[in-house]
Amino acid sequence: MGTLRAGAARLDLLGGRSTSGTWAHFDLQLAFYALALGVVGLLMAYTNSQGAPLAPGSVFTRGLMWFAIAMVLFTLAAAADFRWLRTFAWPLYGLNLALLILTIAIGSGVGEVSRWISIGGLQFQFSELAKILMAIVLAAYLSGRAGRLGSLTTIIGAAVLALPPFALVLMQPDLGTSLVFGAIVMGTLFLSGASLRWLLVAGAGIVAMVPVAWTFVLADYQKRRLISFMDPAADPLDSGYQLTQSQIAVGSGGIFGKGLTNGSQTQLDYLPVQATDFVGATLAEELGFVGCVVVLILFVALLWRVLLVGWRSRDGFGVSFAGAIASMIAFQLLVNFGMVLGIMPITGIPLPFITHGGASLISLAIGLGIIQSIAMRQGRAEW
Amino acid sequence: MSAPLAGDSARGWSWKRFVVFAIIIATVVLALGARLFALQIANGGYYAGLSRENRLTLQPLASARGLIFDRNGRRLVENVPTFSIKVRAADLPLSQRQGVVQRLSVLLGMPAADIIEAVDRAASNRFDLVRIAKNVPEDVARIISEEHLSLPGVEVAVEPQRRYSYAPLVSQVMGYTGAVTREDLERLGPAGYLNDDTIGKAGVEASFEEILRGEYGVEEVERDARGEVLRVSRTLREPVAGDSLELTIDVDVQADAETALRWAMEVAGLQRGVVIVMDPQTGQILAMVSLPTYDSNAFAQGITTADYQALLETPGGPLKNYAISENFPPGSTFKLITGTGALQDGEMTDETVLRTAPYLSIGNYRYWDWNRRGFGPLDIYDGFGHSSDTFFYQVAGMLGIDRLAYWANQFGLGQRTGIELPGEVAGIMPSNEWKQRVMNQPIYPGEVYHAGIGQGYDSFTPIQMLNAYAALANGGTLYKPQIVRRVLSADGSLIQEIEPEVIQQLPVDAQVLETMRLASRRVLTSYHTWNLVDLPIVLAGKTGTAEYGVRDAKGRLPFHSWFAAFVPREPRKDPADPDGLEAVSRTDAELAVLAFAYDSNTTGNAATEIVKYFLQLHYDLRVDLRDRDLLVVDNLYGQ
Repeated sequence: MGTLRAGAARLDLLGGRSTSGTWAHFDLQLAFYALALGVVGLLMAYTNSQGAPLAPGSVFTRGLMWFAIAMVLFTLAAAADFRWLRTFAWPLYGLNLALLILTIAIGSGVGEVSRWISIGGLQFQFSELAKILMAIVLAAYLSGRAGRLGSLTTIIGAAVLALPPFALVLMQPDLGTSLVFGAIVMGTLFLSGASLRWLLVAGAGIVAMVPVAWTFVLADYQKRRLISFMDPAADPLDSGYQLTQSQIAVGSGGIFGKGLTNGSQTQLDYLPVQATDFVGATLAEELGFVGCVVVLILFVALLWRVLLVGWRSRDGFGVSFAGAIASMIAFQLLVNFGMVLGIMPITGIPLPFITHGGASLISLAIGLGIIQSIAMRQGRAEW
Repeated sequence: MSAPLAGDSARGWSWKRFVVFAIIIATVVLALGARLFALQIANGGYYAGLSRENRLTLQPLASARGLIFDRNGRRLVENVPTFSIKVRAADLPLSQRQGVVQRLSVLLGMPAADIIEAVDRAASNRFDLVRIAKNVPEDVARIISEEHLSLPGVEVAVEPQRRYSYAPLVSQVMGYTGAVTREDLERLGPAGYLNDDTIGKAGVEASFEEILRGEYGVEEVERDARGEVLRVSRTLREPVAGDSLELTIDVDVQADAETALRWAMEVAGLQRGVVIVMDPQTGQILAMVSLPTYDSNAFAQGITTADYQALLETPGGPLKNYAISENFPPGSTFKLITGTGALQDGEMTDETVLRTAPYLSIGNYRYWDWNRRGFGPLDIYDGFGHSSDTFFYQVAGMLGIDRLAYWANQFGLGQRTGIELPGEVAGIMPSNEWKQRVMNQPIYPGEVYHAGIGQGYDSFTPIQMLNAYAALANGGTLYKPQIVRRVLSADGSLIQEIEPEVIQQLPVDAQVLETMRLASRRVLTSYHTWNLVDLPIVLAGKTGTAEYGVRDAKGRLPFHSWFAAFVPREPRKDPADPDGLEAVSRTDAELAVLAFAYDSNTTGNAATEIVKYFLQLHYDLRVDLRDRDLLVVDNLYGQ
């Protein structure tokens, strides 16, 4: 079992020899799967760099830079003792709200939308980071309610916590990311052991809200997307066209794909957002069924490791946090890839690791780093 | 250390939840996998076929831009098909770029650097077509077409181009079209403009862009793997042709006006001049000439940087329409306002006689009459007829600056007329409030004098001055100058008749305006305008000699000449009305005309000579009263 270290959490960053026991529990598999998915993301960035991957500022060079930053952040998050996060949960919650308010106040985006904040010429989408901060706060809250998890109060409390960031993201407006928030809350509550009955009631309530949301919350372009998902021919000039072209791209990939940079659908004019939301189409067209299955297996393996860390965790924080991260990754995989395959409506949700975007990758790195930190310290905790 | 999944963990969470969670994930992934299988393997061949051979893309269908006619139906612009060369950067592999650019450079005879710049400049989206050459000769277009296999990403497009049949005669009014700039695209946003689009840049082409433009259609085409169109699969939206315009301009009148202006400018060596002709009963502009000018076709064909630079450096500034886009001191033409205001305000009557003198004094300053002698006692008819400055100093003094400004504004001076051409300026009419705001000082009494004779701060556009005289001529209706009178559909049928628009009815008694029209006739009958009165038609008007700038060593100032006039209906001189007094007392004038000669410095009033020659041409008069001596430059300002 290694040395028992009692008392408060501490940073193991510069701890030297005394930390060796902790690093021995580093989950190599988890790190490997995440790394492999990150590499797939880099491949996609390379192929989407429009013939000049090494040019400064290309999708690929920026991807490399974010990849490096993500590796560093992953290591730092793993080295830091996750128990600090419980101590700082409330300040982190405040920071979360502040960043989201800042985004609405000074952010920029396409049209009337404010989603990004530009820092030194790079756009950063804080709503991605908000998912991780939300997961931390939620896990801290649920772990504090050990023994009372089954009561309705737990669900209401979680909903109250999630509502302000959810609303702020919805105001940007970014329906997709706010849906991810919802998935994180529901998944975490479920895994942490909240009352199944009340969860079902809450779920039914959300479904009942859909007509209200349609009337008052959804913007016209969002409604158009949903309609064209039901019937691609209804709006052949815009979103229906994207859906059709995306399916042609995926379908034409066949078993082995056309090879990197050879996807004619995605390299030519047909799919406008092939580097971001529809990156899955590029993946499927160029790497084929085999490549996609490998990527899906990597996702399954990664989720397996995340859940295992949660299962082994000694405290509620670990279980809840693992549930949050697993819910986030699984939900985004379903919605994004499903959209590319034409079985989900168009929403601007990134495909974890693979969609080009610094904020998404960095948030994943931090989240998985914390999971790693939990894995490394699970046997050592003395509460 | 690995915990078995069987049995709940020691910490107390349910293994069932973990299992259900895992099952949900497995279901999600299996669903995705199944869908992937269906698309890529079960139907892979179908989609591969769609992708490889018959790929569907949308492409815009160009609409025809509306035509423009003059008031007699003469076509001023047509759309002629020309060849353009366009590049789609995404279809041009980097490895072949050098060779393709070299070949295009040879074929098109343009520097390779220009081609690369054109492609990169507009590369906001690599999938959009970028136009690199317009107006390419047919044989070159054919060669490029034939070499398409070795020129990937290069397309030959047939594009309609504007050809202006009456340029440069009507260029200032018509304007021209040109390629949209990135700023245009950002400003217009979703209005349906493409990267390689054209847009109205000046004149009517710009101000009526929305009507002329039409709307793109969309068609779905199948392209093969090299991106070449195999066939049009369906039209999703038909293009809508732009509507056509019928201008109020009459190109014959325009040609007469230009001939007259060019002649005077040549004789007197002027660099800039304006002639505007209006129907005072409707406010419709029959002619609007501003010289120097440019050729709209040069722009429509894609003007070269060198040619554009040359235009920028041409003395006089040919790119500006001086009829509307710059304001100048109006000189004595402004006395119409001073006189009308004083009569209407009851400061004087048409019988009031004022003593004129060589000069009036305020403190140590002397305010001279233009002839430096004065004219003795004068009433309004002779004061206006001789254009006595000391007469109007006194009248301006009676009104004060704010009443003067009030009356100027009533006549539309110092504000945009609203003519539907881009770039109109408002001009300046000083008032106490204006001077306080702009210079933080009150108006001084001497400045009131100057304001009353159209000097000092007074500064108006030629179109404003003409409009004021048109209102005088028609009995007090101030119209918005009109430039387009009909909107026609592409097949020529009438869509909309644009009615004359009244800005306001002047708050002036008919009697007062009649007095001022008679006084305008006195300008001619007193021989103030020399032999103009000898034309076989009746006209009335007012001259202006507007000094501006700074005095030279000999105390001289350079000056502009103005003449604003109107011609009654049936203007041939009637023996029963030898002085034409009956004719000008009517309000049925059929023509209002204004000439403006910038920096003229001539012995006589150059603008009067221009109007004289114009009227001779317009009414086909068998006399030629032009007097070249009046166009001799004698005020050698600065020398």
